Amino acid sequence: MAAEVSVRRPPRLSAAPALEVAGLTVSYRQQPVLRHVDVAVPEGQLVAVIGPNGAGKSTLLKAVLGLLPIDAGEIRVLGRPIAQARTHVAYVPQTDSADWDFPITVREVVLMGRYRALGYFGRPRAADHARVSAALETVGMTAYADRHIRQLSGGQQQRVFLARALAQEARVLLLDEPFAGVDARTEAAIFELMDRFSQAGQTLIVVNHNLQILDRFDAVLMLNRVVIAYGPPAEVVSADNLRRLYGGRMSFVDEAERALREGPADVR
Amino acid sequence: MSAERLLAESAADLITWQERLLSPLIDHRLQLLCSVVVGALLGLLGGFVVLRRMSLIGDAIAHAVLPGVVIAFLLVSTGVTGLFVGALAAGVVTAVAISLVTRFSRAKEDAAIGIVFTAMFAVGVILISRLPAGTHFDLKCFLFGDPLAITETDWHSILLIAPVVVGTILLLFHPLKLLSFDPVLARTMGFNTSLLHYVLMILLSATIVAALRSVGVIMAVAMLVTPAATAYQLTNRLWLLLTVSTALGGLSAAVGMFLAFQFNNPPGPMMVLVATVVFLLAMALAPERGFLAVALRRRRIRRHILEEDVLKMLARFEEAPQRAGASLAAALTPADPRAIGRAVEDLARDGLVTRGDPEPTLTSVGRARAQEMLRAHRLWETYLAQEGAAERHLHDEAERLEHAHELAEELDRTLGRPAADPQGKTIPRPEG
Repeated sequence: MAAEVSVRRPPRLSAAPALEVAGLTVSYRQQPVLRHVDVAVPEGQLVAVIGPNGAGKSTLLKAVLGLLPIDAGEIRVLGRPIAQARTHVAYVPQTDSADWDFPITVREVVLMGRYRALGYFGRPRAADHARVSAALETVGMTAYADRHIRQLSGGQQQRVFLARALAQEARVLLLDEPFAGVDARTEAAIFELMDRFSQAGQTLIVVNHNLQILDRFDAVLMLNRVVIAYGPPAEVVSADNLRRLYGGRMSFVDEAERALREGPADVR
Repeated sequence: MSAERLLAESAADLITWQERLLSPLIDHRLQLLCSVVVGALLGLLGGFVVLRRMSLIGDAIAHAVLPGVVIAFLLVSTGVTGLFVGALAAGVVTAVAISLVTRFSRAKEDAAIGIVFTAMFAVGVILISRLPAGTHFDLKCFLFGDPLAITETDWHSILLIAPVVVGTILLLFHPLKLLSFDPVLARTMGFNTSLLHYVLMILLSATIVAALRSVGVIMAVAMLVTPAATAYQLTNRLWLLLTVSTALGGLSAAVGMFLAFQFNNPPGPMMVLVATVVFLLAMALAPERGFLAVALRRRRIRRHILEEDVLKMLARFEEAPQRAGASLAAALTPADPRAIGRAVEDLARDGLVTRGDPEPTLTSVGRARAQEMLRAHRLWETYLAQEGAAERHLHDEAERLEHAHELAEELDRTLGRPAADPQGKTIPRPEG
């Protein structure tokens, strides 16, 4: 792992933001999920993405990762299209998306972080194994390295995924609800890890449900199909914005979309 | 009768016995070899099929190669190459069609599989009925196999396929592992997961064609799924799972063929039954997950819990002198009195109680253990009360949780080391 930098948010020479999303529209089964989303995240920031269920938070992450076709707009990671920036991006999925019965040890899961570097036919070398050990050490999972993954608690599962992202040596980390299903103490420990990554210069974009800890992020993206607000928590986290975020006034647009898709009411 | 003659006769007996058992296998060694290799290959691929929950797709491809095989049969008659090309094409068409139906309709994958493979199979059956007079295509053989009809040509095609399958799996082991465990991560890393999926499907189609003669499509599906499911029951490592599954596939084929000759049964189904019996054994006897191991573990825990309850009850008797002379069995209802008797015997053997009349008494070691239990019980009651549990549930819940007493110290610290439980009973402290 890179040496930790003592100054928070060290200035970067590269001018390109870690993530730049412009006019992004994404649909699922012809139903727009995200509309005209504009977001720019400077490198080294710790950003929370909040919003109600179905607001398109996971969709945003998946679109950035190039997993979904986009209708309109542009996404650039470190100034490049995602296809040319994959080496620098790591995805940390929700822990309940994984098959914890799979015959695999903790160390093997983390080693998967090296697979992109290995390509289709490569074999892990000593250097890869060393990175895996270092990543396990950083997240405090060394003692569990050779256990089967089923024996882990929710917090430990999350640590393993974080270690895998570390082993990827990515500059931008996209995390989907890393706090889901863990208790308050584990949440604090995981947040501390993320904070350390961020201080070491990595950019973290975190889908998050806990409104209590928003002030500990550098920026908050309030997303409900459209960007409701985006900026430092002190500026955007307000009762008014939260009401707009969770109150939902999108139904008119949804109605209109449906009418355009299926024909207006008098035609139906 | 001289001893020498007796010896010679029994030796002759032994030889006939050996001949009777083994000679069919020796006569059919080519067929045996083919079946074993095919069983092993299906076992190997089956590892990925089972882990990726694609057993149904395996089933579909097995059936759906029929039209491909028939068309090839029509066009190039008996050539093995033609059969393979036809089957591969049909396999890929099936895999692609399943993805397309899933994507462009509301049908989920299982329904899509059902639609596609039955349609392919129907086309195949109709094509068979349209075969020109004089040609003979044996549908029964396609479905159930006929290992005795295996010829040198089949062996050659297996010799061609086996290295390709094994080599591809070895070469792509890591990407295939990633695809099976976390396909989304594989895509974010830029791996072409569709390509990897179709590589597996192509290997599968080729192996199923090779397996047609020895086990037939229906049995091929069993050989694809059962040995792999057995191996999954037994191991926690992927490479070991694949190794065990491959070995079991080959072994089931060999043993199945042997038994088929002994009992004059069709070989394909015998292979499948052998694989099934091995699976059932693994289900029952697997070291961690087998239901025998689970049942034994439960029993051990139950006995342990009862022993702890006896200790605690004896400590309660000591705490409340007015209860002296009370009966353990009555105090521990509804526990079985005989089980209590056994628990007391075990405790006496471990030096935790001394047998007494009518009830045993605690030794000093036993008393210390009992205090631990009481402490855990009262700490849990305090904790549960604090969490807002209704008072009438406190005791029963604590009665269950107290047996996890390794948590007691942490619980005590979290609660701020309370002196008494909600009923005002003193919470014992460990000495020193």
